[in-house]
Amino acid sequence: MSLFQKRTEKVPCTVEVSHTFESLHAHVRFDDGSVVHPGDEVLVHGKPVLAGYGEVVIEKREATITRAGAIERAWTRLTGDLEFMELCEFSFSEEVRL
Amino acid sequence: MNVQADITPEELERDLTQEDTQRMATETTLLNPRFYTTDFEALDAIDVSPVQEEWDALIAELKSDPNKGHFKKNETWDTPDFDAMEPELKKELMDFLVSSLTAEFSGCVLYKEMKRRGTNEDVKTLFALMARDEARHAGFINDALREADVAVNLGFLTKAKKYTYFKPKFIFYATYLSEKIGYARYITIFRHLEQHPENRIHPIFKWFEEWCNDEFRHGEAFSLLMRADPKLLSGHNKLWIKFFLVAVFSTMYVRDHARPAFHKALGIDIDWYDHEVLKKTSEISKQCFPIELDLEHPRWKKGLVSLRDHMFAAEAAEKRGSGMAKRYHMARAAMVFVSLYTIPSKKNQIPALSRLEPSY
Repeated sequence: MSLFQKRTEKVPCTVEVSHTFESLHAHVRFDDGSVVHPGDEVLVHGKPVLAGYGEVVIEKREATITRAGAIERAWTRLTGDLEFMELCEFSFSEEVRL
Repeated sequence: MNVQADITPEELERDLTQEDTQRMATETTLLNPRFYTTDFEALDAIDVSPVQEEWDALIAELKSDPNKGHFKKNETWDTPDFDAMEPELKKELMDFLVSSLTAEFSGCVLYKEMKRRGTNEDVKTLFALMARDEARHAGFINDALREADVAVNLGFLTKAKKYTYFKPKFIFYATYLSEKIGYARYITIFRHLEQHPENRIHPIFKWFEEWCNDEFRHGEAFSLLMRADPKLLSGHNKLWIKFFLVAVFSTMYVRDHARPAFHKALGIDIDWYDHEVLKKTSEISKQCFPIELDLEHPRWKKGLVSLRDHMFAAEAAEKRGSGMAKRYHMARAAMVFVSLYTIPSKKNQIPALSRLEPSY
């Protein structure tokens, strides 16, 4: 792992989006067992996964993991905790109204 | 949006047209949850045997799924007339629903990740059960939003996402408080509306009584996780606990005051409500936290008011493009936060058993 240079990896993944009355959730799972670390960035390729209301969509996709450099990883480890407030229902939501 | 090589211009155009059509009919809210990673080895090393008996009872209760049939609409769901609603009230009500949805959704993402990455069966079982509840709540709120023509866009999955990091103990302090304060908020609103049904501006509040028991149970689980490792509740960690208490409590105060029309319509005095919620949360948190904030201290109330004023002033400054004024008010807000933090806390003797029943 270098200090600043970013490495990227292409990995297969499975995305699951449930847009139903019973459950609203969305997850990405890496099929090859890849693991993300603090500060890494993940981009799932392809069109937005659109699950219409009442649908559960499970698709195989490819994702790029951009690995954080050592400094960014350390920084994220140090400061990530400060973003905990998002878990509170009354927190300042960052929603973007389109 | 990021460059995606495998999308053709025609496809993109078609997508945009569809999106545009949708946009005309509804307002779209893009969900933008954060993605987390943590020290999974530390999570795997958790040993719940010091609290085994209470742990088993709680897991059995979660597995029995007491709220399985609760999140269904029935004939008591009376859809409000959104067109007749004051625009300001509608905006704040939607904001309330969207931020609730985001919190449930973020909780679900976090719990699911912890379940998926771990190898510790106790931990995995717990987080799977809690992710189930959060996704169910999110689905229920989503349905309420759809009724008001607010569509949730889950397109974030194909946008670049950075993974942020939480130490396990910070996840425990933060989510414990978030679940227990969630319980206290929902039950306080519910009890208030029982007395004042004429102020129930949306049917979702009728579901809060059983709903908040899910939050309560999740809080119980985090209490046990922390009590299983007494280091987390003693020594220098007391300073962290105090930090989380002050941060969560004061954020709630500021945030609630940013929704005046919503609370007015519910007939709720925000100062009364927040004090009530914080008192309840503080009382409950004695089950595991070695300290308690002094909510009656004269500097507490004064500090909250001042924090709110500076936060609002900073936001106003940002809107009019005055970076200087914004920085000034943010610095003052930080000083107020320090002042709140330095109010002496009260010592608490942690009881022998953790388990509490929801009693408000």
